[in-house]
Amino acid sequence: MSGPQSNRLASGGGIDRSRALRFTFDGRSYSGFSGDTLASALLANGVRLVGRSFKYHRPRGILSAGSEEPNALVELRNGARREPNTRATTAELFDGLVAESQNRWPSLALDVMSVNSLLAPVFVAGFYYKTFMWPAAFWEKLYEPMIRRAAGLGRAAAEPDPDSYEKVTAFCDVLVIGGGPAGLMAALAAARSGASVILTDESFALGGRLLSERAEIDGGDANAWIARVRDELDALANVRILTRTTLFAAYDSGTCAAIERVADHLAAPPPHMPRQRIWRIIAKQVIVTAGATERPIVFGNNDRPGVMLAGAVRSYINRFGVAPGRRAVVFANNDDGCATVRDLASAGIEIAALVDTRASSPQYISELAAHHGVRLVNGVVTDVEGRLGVRSVRIRPHAGAPFTLDCDLVAVSSGWNPNVQITTHLGGKPRWSDTLATFVPGELPRGMSVAGAAAGDYALHSSLASGARAGHTAAEATGFSSPPIDTPRADDEPTSIAAFWHVQGTRHKAFVDFQNDVATTDIALAEREGYRSIEHVKRYTTLGMATDQGRTGSVNAIAILAALTDKSIPETGVTAARPPFTPVALGAFAGHHRGRTFKPERRPASYDWTKANAGVLVETGLWLRPAYFPRAGERDWLESVSREVATVRSAVGICDVSTLGKINVQGPDALALLERLYANDLASLRVGRARYGVMLREDGFLMDDGTIARLDEQHYFVTTTTANAAKVYQHMQFALQWLWPELDVQIASATEQWAQFAIAGPRARELLREIIDAAHDISNAAFPYLAVGDVTCCGGIKTRLYRLSFSGELAYEIGVPARFGPALWQRLLLAGEPLGACAYGSEALGVMRIEKGHISGPELNGTTTAADVGLGAMRSRKKDYIGRVLGERPGLVDPARPALVGLRPVERAQRLRAGAHFIARTAEATAANDDGYMTSTAFSPSLGHWIGLGLLRHGPQRQGEIIRAVDPVRGEDVLVEVVAPVFIDARGERLRA
Amino acid sequence: MPDPILQPASAVAAWTPVATAGLSIDVRDDLTIAGIAPFRGKAQAVSEALAERYGLALPAACRRISGDDITLQWSGPDQWIAIAGRGAARDLEVELKPLLAGLAAVVDHSDARAVVVFSGKHARDVLAKGLPIDLHERAFRVGDVAITHANHIGVTITQTGNEPAYEIMLYRSYADSFADWLRHATAELTA
Repeated sequence: MSGPQSNRLASGGGIDRSRALRFTFDGRSYSGFSGDTLASALLANGVRLVGRSFKYHRPRGILSAGSEEPNALVELRNGARREPNTRATTAELFDGLVAESQNRWPSLALDVMSVNSLLAPVFVAGFYYKTFMWPAAFWEKLYEPMIRRAAGLGRAAAEPDPDSYEKVTAFCDVLVIGGGPAGLMAALAAARSGASVILTDESFALGGRLLSERAEIDGGDANAWIARVRDELDALANVRILTRTTLFAAYDSGTCAAIERVADHLAAPPPHMPRQRIWRIIAKQVIVTAGATERPIVFGNNDRPGVMLAGAVRSYINRFGVAPGRRAVVFANNDDGCATVRDLASAGIEIAALVDTRASSPQYISELAAHHGVRLVNGVVTDVEGRLGVRSVRIRPHAGAPFTLDCDLVAVSSGWNPNVQITTHLGGKPRWSDTLATFVPGELPRGMSVAGAAAGDYALHSSLASGARAGHTAAEATGFSSPPIDTPRADDEPTSIAAFWHVQGTRHKAFVDFQNDVATTDIALAEREGYRSIEHVKRYTTLGMATDQGRTGSVNAIAILAALTDKSIPETGVTAARPPFTPVALGAFAGHHRGRTFKPERRPASYDWTKANAGVLVETGLWLRPAYFPRAGERDWLESVSREVATVRSAVGICDVSTLGKINVQGPDALALLERLYANDLASLRVGRARYGVMLREDGFLMDDGTIARLDEQHYFVTTTTANAAKVYQHMQFALQWLWPELDVQIASATEQWAQFAIAGPRARELLREIIDAAHDISNAAFPYLAVGDVTCCGGIKTRLYRLSFSGELAYEIGVPARFGPALWQRLLLAGEPLGACAYGSEALGVMRIEKGHISGPELNGTTTAADVGLGAMRSRKKDYIGRVLGERPGLVDPARPALVGLRPVERAQRLRAGAHFIARTAEATAANDDGYMTSTAFSPSLGHWIGLGLLRHGPQRQGEIIRAVDPVRGEDVLVEVVAPVFIDARGERLRA
Repeated sequence: MPDPILQPASAVAAWTPVATAGLSIDVRDDLTIAGIAPFRGKAQAVSEALAERYGLALPAACRRISGDDITLQWSGPDQWIAIAGRGAARDLEVELKPLLAGLAAVVDHSDARAVVVFSGKHARDVLAKGLPIDLHERAFRVGDVAITHANHIGVTITQTGNEPAYEIMLYRSYADSFADWLRHATAELTA
């Protein structure tokens, strides 16, 4: 029956017949036209079997012509761009489109898994829970893989997504969701008043249902009216029209989210174009004109290809110029049957019968049937026959004997559901309308209104009028007043309906939720097993839980459950609809934040040089710090780091410490604030000197350590660790703004202002002498250990010099304005060359601080006190400070607390591991005998063996003792000697040299 | 051996200015910036000292005001920044410290900030891809200042002209990440 567009009507439709597009489906080549969807192009080519269902692998066709499609889900594109579960009914056709059907093997027409259909009694509601309950161990290894293989829908791409995505924020006075007749009127009314308007529509063309109906507005073709409105809106600067954009969520305060498919209608996005874009729209007023979705009637084999929503039949005929069948039966409980019969007839499609569920049809229906010579039957379609598609239907009249009619198309309508989802995202519940036999929007969020079919105003004129009213009212609410606009002339077509949901006494399975394969029998079973709340039935049967969110099935399901439980539909209630309204690619949510740009990077002064010289960077928070600088011939990181350490200890090294937090503290009460923040005495700190300081948390544990430099009587400059810079700044702001607002102090971060380098090693002063301008005396006498001062370097550049040492060597830190950082870094390396200098990174710094017993992150881990890490004596007894009182709790001053010691392996060749636990030599390695743990380890090039720092119970009293360092993770058990935590230059002579 | 003067680096490595129809973006590396945080009860005195010297008083919250040779910009509760061209060797910290001695904490921010300027009719389209605030002239006027974020990076944005023109200030170490986002955000317009 298929041929080259054999089902394309000779004329009509909004397609461009001059632009033919080639595409393939399951490897076969077809052609369609510009303006087609994949679904309309497949139908034009006579393809109506397009997929297999989720659970039973039943053959499925095309049910709808829109985003509610539950059946026609395909894999679109291939390779890295393959996207499963794409709705053929919304995928725009482009030249070269490649699509594959899903869930079938070896082929669509012959799918071996369709034996699941025969096993249907097994796959009933709750079958996961019942069948795969026991034994538990089987779940992971057997059941889950089996279910995934059998039931998965489509295959995701295996390669990384090659496309880019972005996110945009937009603000407007009035947001109009949906560009059908009501939405266009709402946008027009609001825009003419001067309000800023955003109009979104999920299709590529504005017009909504008008594109699919033969309607007249203002005495002419509705399409001409759409074009006039679009022209007017386009010309207004205060209007933004977003087509191919689905509004998928409403949040608080008028914030909505929409997904724009920027390039999905192209084979691949051009290099500069994002594939999709998320719009965050903040609107003062939101008008929902999202239209309505048609319901199918539930009857036997109602999921066979060829059973199609009546409105979709009209869409294919009127919008796409496609005959979706040759001989149709129209089956409806409402006046939609009229338009369907009329449009089928005008397309030259034979109409075998109009089956109206009502006891008697309105006169205009019988007249229309008579006019077109169509047999009108008041009764129901009980079953469809035909395996891969409709061949015939069995009809049971209200009066008379059942009979069968041959046909290949069943156009079905049980009425329309207003698209209320967006109105319920903030918790509102829809309200049941007896007149319309459906749920309509209930209580709306503040600032939201509904118009057109979304409000239940289905007929054209009333839809246009309600849109105009809503647009005018919304604009007024945002302060834009203008006379109401006229509603164009249009007819109100008949929309009467008699509620009808479900045909009783069918021979075949009757489906309610097509995408999740939920049949009437599943709902009945759930009810028998005690699941009577609609929310429970939803979860037990998975009804409404597929990607279509049950848009075609939910109301039918509620009606069926209501009948089973002898309740009314409003008593049964609806399930909550939550965002997103439509599936949204995770890539779109990520936007620019993926891979290397997942989060911003902070780059210190030496970054570019480090990259250019193959240095290795390490992440510290957002910072990328140089870790070490490998040289040619070095075998591994350890060799590079050891060489850097040896260079510092014997000559001089240069390290980028720009990332340390730096905070300016100024004002009459600067000292008072710092005295309360730091545990140690600062009152005796003189101008021009720096001091090491520790800061406690309120609960008495160590928070951070750093240096405090006094630059002036009322001007201090403190440093923090890189990792804690923001936390310390926040802590200081908290103290200043909340604890002691009476203190007259101003603090300001200076981290970013200064590029700062440590210059360490016995030849540090020699190197510095090459850099610091000659006017400044930096001799040991003039600039001793812990001196600080403002100098100049390299011919007058503002410089702050500190004599501080983390490595234990003669060392300085030199700070210059950040713009000079990269140049100074290179200048230091150049000037250091004759002295044997090298750059060293955070790894070498780490080795040297362990050799010196200085604490760092592993010891500052939030569970240690100052005394634990050997700094107990620093705590001032003469003043109060944050953490003092709670730091004196018994548990924090217990002498048995693990305290800082040094460790070295008894067998010097053995390696030590951070994380190993200390066990007395003769004790069993159990948690009860745990005496503490190793916090930091390093290979000490100075000593030629591994060393460690650790927290050991009664540690300081156990020096000389041999204990075990047990590492159950790596299976190691090493004998270590407890020693003082300072391995190098215990008397500190080098740093004062 | 005499030391050569060190060459200053731009806040953004390998920056190429954007200059296309309706959009220009550039990095300003020629500014001197100083933070001014008046001590308790001294804001009025600071304002008067500045007015006497430069003819400009401290602007109100969320505002910026420019004179012939200095711009004063609110930068947070009870704090402001002063901005000027660096010229040959102007240094606002050095200039303001004596003027505001005992009145305010003055801190050099010249290198702590990267400054990116935007102008043209597409400027807002680009900024909307990163900033979550409304830049429409009804909500954000010339001289308005907002502290917000762009692409997860903290920024201060000011509308500096009617074209419209904007200036964004951010911490210097984030500048390369910011520029990377900008290249992404402007790709459609500059392709």
